[in-house]
Amino acid sequence: MKKNLKKAICVGMACMMAASLVACSGNTSSSSGSAAPTTAAVQQGSEAVVPAPASGEKKVIKLFHRFPDDPCNSFIEKKVAEYEAAHPDITIEISSAQNQPYKEKIKVVVGSDECPDIFFSWGGEFSERFIRENLIMDLTSYMTGEWADSLLQTQMVEYTTADGMIYGVPFRLDAKLFFYNKDIFEDQGLKVPTTWDEFIDACEALKSAGITPIAEGNQDQWPGCHYVGTLNQLLVADDVRAKDYNPKTGEFTDPGYAQALEYYQQLVAYMNPGVNGQTHDMARLGFTQGQTGLLYAELVEITNIKQENADLNWGMFNFPLIEGAGNPGLLTGSPEGFVVSAKTRYPDECVEFLKWFLGPEAGAEQAEEVGWFNASKGVDKNLTDESLKEAYSVMVSAEEMGPWFDSSLYSTVCDAYLTAISDVTNGDVTPADAMTKIQRIAKEAQTLVE
Amino acid sequence: MKKKNIAPYFYILPGLLMVLCFVYIPIIVNCVYSFFRLSSYSSSMKFVGFSNFKRLFTNDVFPIMIRNNIYYCVISLIVQVGFGTILALLLESKLVGKAGGFYRNVYFIPSLISLTAVGLMFSFIYSPQIGLLNTFLKNVGLVNLQQSWLGDKKLAIFCIIAMSQWQFTGYITLLMVVAFQNVPQDYLEAAVIDGAGPIRRAISICLPLAKEQLLVCSIITVIGAFKLFTEVYSTTSGGPGNNSQVLGLFLYQNAFLHDDMGMAAATGVLIFAITVTASIIQLRVTRSGQE
Repeated sequence: MKKNLKKAICVGMACMMAASLVACSGNTSSSSGSAAPTTAAVQQGSEAVVPAPASGEKKVIKLFHRFPDDPCNSFIEKKVAEYEAAHPDITIEISSAQNQPYKEKIKVVVGSDECPDIFFSWGGEFSERFIRENLIMDLTSYMTGEWADSLLQTQMVEYTTADGMIYGVPFRLDAKLFFYNKDIFEDQGLKVPTTWDEFIDACEALKSAGITPIAEGNQDQWPGCHYVGTLNQLLVADDVRAKDYNPKTGEFTDPGYAQALEYYQQLVAYMNPGVNGQTHDMARLGFTQGQTGLLYAELVEITNIKQENADLNWGMFNFPLIEGAGNPGLLTGSPEGFVVSAKTRYPDECVEFLKWFLGPEAGAEQAEEVGWFNASKGVDKNLTDESLKEAYSVMVSAEEMGPWFDSSLYSTVCDAYLTAISDVTNGDVTPADAMTKIQRIAKEAQTLVE
Repeated sequence: MKKKNIAPYFYILPGLLMVLCFVYIPIIVNCVYSFFRLSSYSSSMKFVGFSNFKRLFTNDVFPIMIRNNIYYCVISLIVQVGFGTILALLLESKLVGKAGGFYRNVYFIPSLISLTAVGLMFSFIYSPQIGLLNTFLKNVGLVNLQQSWLGDKKLAIFCIIAMSQWQFTGYITLLMVVAFQNVPQDYLEAAVIDGAGPIRRAISICLPLAKEQLLVCSIITVIGAFKLFTEVYSTTSGGPGNNSQVLGLFLYQNAFLHDDMGMAAATGVLIFAITVTASIIQLRVTRSGQE
């Protein structure tokens, strides 16, 4: 009896192991066989393989976004549930990831067969690298008449290529402004600065009074590049910048770029100590707790500021003006939105969903619940919060947006620039030397890009 | 003549297939990819010969990466293996006695915590404004020792290495304790009769008999040093600038941020070559000792 039991267990275990071998082999479809993170990322990022609906009953649309935190996450889930209830033949599977992992995951998932039908993508070079590989659907033919009129054109421009192909629709608008602590400014008798010199004077006054002027944390490297991107807009002519941001023609030889880094160095002198040692979110706490006078932040952070300190008396002003070759009419910021995969099986359904989800009705709800605006006109109609209404009027009155610096650059150039800014923040490299290195990488990139 | 028994070969076949599928074939495919230019979403591969390797070796960050990996290797060998072994000897000695088991568990527990969790925890500890370390230094009165730790060009990699030593010294200690427990008591008693003190016993009896285990520990430490990834990824991502960059992280960033799978594959080939060479050297050195 015992011997039979033992035999049975052995056979059972052998079968289990054989079965696990077969189960594993099913998932390694397009893995590239390099380091373990690849297969791990593919396993995590891919949804359950969608069986082809033979009878055409349930259409499954996969949605991948980068807002796993509340209130946005619950808002998206709520709207999706609403849409599914109204359209019983459509099921939408949602997956999400945080900012940095999203940038990495999306590149693996987009190239595989499990590419999400609708996914989040920053405008500019970030999406254009996918467009070059024909991975994003062209929305130009859908964007006509009523739909086109209901959207803010200044924002739609960011999701249109130079050739006029419209490839995405914004989910949230954003702009970067200086937030200031009104109480601190009043105590020190400071006015809101409009020019660079006035701004530096204000910082100097705060510093002499023992108050840290600017709160910043550059550990993730993107906060620093927002300053430099804005400075580039002010000091370098628009057409020169357009030429340099394009990887095929980028050179970065204009003296304005080195100047921008020098101005940035001036700002660093007024930032809290240990800028590279903490994240932007941690530094923001210093502002919301009333320890610093200024914070260069995005409008979408208004929700965070209210959460961290609802009693804070704050205001906003635009980046101080510098007389230079550039264009002061640009508002640094970029909408962020969704694109549709070129490989989707349900293009019309995806577009219909986006029309509704990113339209005026959902937008008004989004403005109330999450504090973010989409590109539809008039989404502030139900708002009561004054700070949000002010933020919206800033967005609507912008003539032209100046996109985020890091998503406008080619990958190797972006890496070199962010590293340079990080080094300049620590005082480890001079602006001139930093630009020399960037120029070299930009030249190399001209041959690397297809 | 006795018929050759082929049954054993069938038993090892599944294991062999798995090792082939998940280890050997990927290594070979990786070597092939290192000669091409492709990204994770591109539809085609372009043959570029040795260009990826050339760009890797002439990259500005390359000396920094190799330097960081070597720092990690040397410091880990000294602290984890060296100090861990001494700790193991102490735990096995009469000094500690019955409490040895308790201390062993306490030292071992950090290695059970996920690498990412430890990285996030130390990110907070090292935070210049609100972190535990700077706050502790301030309260003790050593304000001038405060640094921006992970944001400091020279200190970042050492902070990460320190975090790793905290986590894994206990693990090596546990392995060595097991090795020392296998030393036959007769030898030790004979040594006591001959008048050997505790240190003499440790050096001349325990260590030589635990040589195999010591070799295994040093090999895994060296291999771990060159495969280093999670600790740096969850704390500084190679920053500030590129000063805490390491080979493993460079591979990952090239694969998924810079859309350069070919370069990542080339880095993978390099890491493989380094770890295989290090392992062979270590095995040879000790084998020649035995002869």
